[in-house]
Amino acid sequence: MAKVLVIADIKRGEVKRSTAELLAKARSIGAETAVVAIGNNLEALIPGLVSAGSESQYVADDLGLELFSAAPYASCIVDAANQFGADQIWFASTESGKAVAPRVAARLGVACATDITDVTSTGDNIEITRPAIANKVIQRVKINSEKLVAVVRAGAFEMTAEGAGGSEKVIRLAAPPADLGAVVKELIADASGDIDLGDAAIVVSVGRGVKDQKGIDLVKALADDLGAGFGTSRAMVDSGLMGHNKQVGQTGKIVAPKLYIAVGISGAIQHLSGMTGSQVIVAVNNDPEAPIFNVADYGIVGDLFEVVPILRQQIKNIKK
Amino acid sequence: MKILTTVKKVVDVELTIRVESGAIVEEGLQYVMNAWDENAVEASVQLKENNGAETTLVSIGGGDDNIQIIRRGYAMGIDNGVQVDDPLLAGADSFVLARVLQKVCEKGSYDLIITGKQAQDTDNGQTGIILAENLGIPCVSNVVAMDVIDDKHIKATRLGDGGKEIVEVTLPAVVTVSDSINEPRLPQMRGLMMAKKKKIDVMDLAALGTSLDEVGGKDIRSEIVEFSRSQARKAGKKYEGDAAQITAQVVDLLVNEAKVL
Ligand SMILES: Cc1cc2nc3c(=O)[nH]c(=O)nc-3n(C[C@H](O)[C@H](O)[C@H](O)COP(=O)(O)OP(=O)(O)OC[C@H]3O[C@@H](n4cnc5c(N)ncnc54)[C@H](O)[C@@H]3O)c2cc1C
Repeated sequence: MAKVLVIADIKRGEVKRSTAELLAKARSIGAETAVVAIGNNLEALIPGLVSAGSESQYVADDLGLELFSAAPYASCIVDAANQFGADQIWFASTESGKAVAPRVAARLGVACATDITDVTSTGDNIEITRPAIANKVIQRVKINSEKLVAVVRAGAFEMTAEGAGGSEKVIRLAAPPADLGAVVKELIADASGDIDLGDAAIVVSVGRGVKDQKGIDLVKALADDLGAGFGTSRAMVDSGLMGHNKQVGQTGKIVAPKLYIAVGISGAIQHLSGMTGSQVIVAVNNDPEAPIFNVADYGIVGDLFEVVPILRQQIKNIKK
Repeated sequence: MKILTTVKKVVDVELTIRVESGAIVEEGLQYVMNAWDENAVEASVQLKENNGAETTLVSIGGGDDNIQIIRRGYAMGIDNGVQVDDPLLAGADSFVLARVLQKVCEKGSYDLIITGKQAQDTDNGQTGIILAENLGIPCVSNVVAMDVIDDKHIKATRLGDGGKEIVEVTLPAVVTVSDSINEPRLPQMRGLMMAKKKKIDVMDLAALGTSLDEVGGKDIRSEIVEFSRSQARKAGKKYEGDAAQITAQVVDLLVNEAKVL
């Protein structure tokens, strides 16, 4: 039986849903599962790691691991992978995952595949699929090494009933040495009240069409009404109106919510490659030729300054 | 300070990409410098302008397009160019490319290696990080700002999951840059003219002092077996006309048809 080690996706002291999604996929292919959690003060998270569907939990809990640092994180994962005898090592698509996965693969001397949407293994053959060229094509890739390190694209694996419920078997990992060549001096944390784009069931995003802060506030109110994550296009990040961490797209976050509402976004391929995995897409744009309408299930052609207040009112009405 | 920047030739992603019998149709494709590598070139030219540095770029690949891309780097302000051109590298994966780059690094003793954080054609985002592992030097990825502290240290700001991470890096090191680090300059006519006269140091694996075997090219860890077209999302319906009316219609459909509200 294949052994899959999943890297726990922990943010602000919480185990993210992606952890359970990856574990569910591992179990659905009949693998033995383990999870590795890295950070500081993780004790309270252990029950959550178990219920996410892991059969053993490798825990590296140390003050020195409080802030993300790629080299020591990679050491913890290599340690866990060796102890567990992992055949495959899966990361969720996070910035830390993308930074650590290639290191782990390099150290283990195995293949690394990022942004994968599926993995199959028959006998000794592992194959993965992944989009490339800004989502224009799909690659089917044969893995020649016996083991695989993979970063899984957001929304690729779904939670399944059989995923839930693991068993507790905690293995403590020794704290690795710090990386003295790249010392994390400070974390300028994102505003804490925000809904994580990766978790949100609904994402509302603004593009250059909103023009200024007033336009942003108008659409943010809609996002708040819906309890939605609030994203944006690169044009807005470049202009300094929105933070980097809100950018959806090829270089930003890849999201796959139930509902994505794009307001004043033209739909450049780099933006599309971050959100076309959404279940339902709504676009509001005053240009009927805007490419965003090529992917939108429901396109509202109109002036966003007129449409958004109406949209808020309509949604309030149905929520009553 | 000696800076090495890696640049890759990629297909122009704005153009239509056709797939036939599991392969990308070469005809009609155009090649450009990977967008993130333009950011890497810009970052090294800025370091040169502000702090004084000798800048070199390296590109693995052959053909006229690749020469044009190196010339573009020159026109942006890069001093020296190395092209590793060897048909043996056709099926190279990230690990092989990182080994080749390692050989280039070992020849030049660079203080700082700047790469784009990923390439527009593969979106792999691995090579720079693996290169640092191979060289046993620090690496900071997804960097959005960079400042020189002194000859041996830089401050890199990285966009992480929880916010901006401020990292003090001891050189030599690898930095992979995000597109938000800068706005790459457009090469000027004069620069492009001058660039044509500049020498490019072209070498194959043998000239680099290595072999396909040594860079792992006989034992590639992964290979693409097939391309297919992505399942394009179908365009749904566009609603035009009275704002109140069409908005009401769409909200109704989101509730009753799509069942997402
Ligand atoms: C290497 C690379 C990576 C990139 N990565 C990303 C990425 O990750 N994410 C990303 O988003 N972009 C990315 N881009 C940039 C991308 O190409 C586009 O430039 C960007 O997405 C455009 O943002 P926008 O849609 O907000 O702006 P625009 O393209 O300017 O679109 C604004 C839209 O608003 C509409 N509009 C204007 N006024 C109104 C109104 N009153 N009511 C309704 N609609 C209105 C217009 O019709 C237009 O369609 C990348 C580019 C490159 C080269």
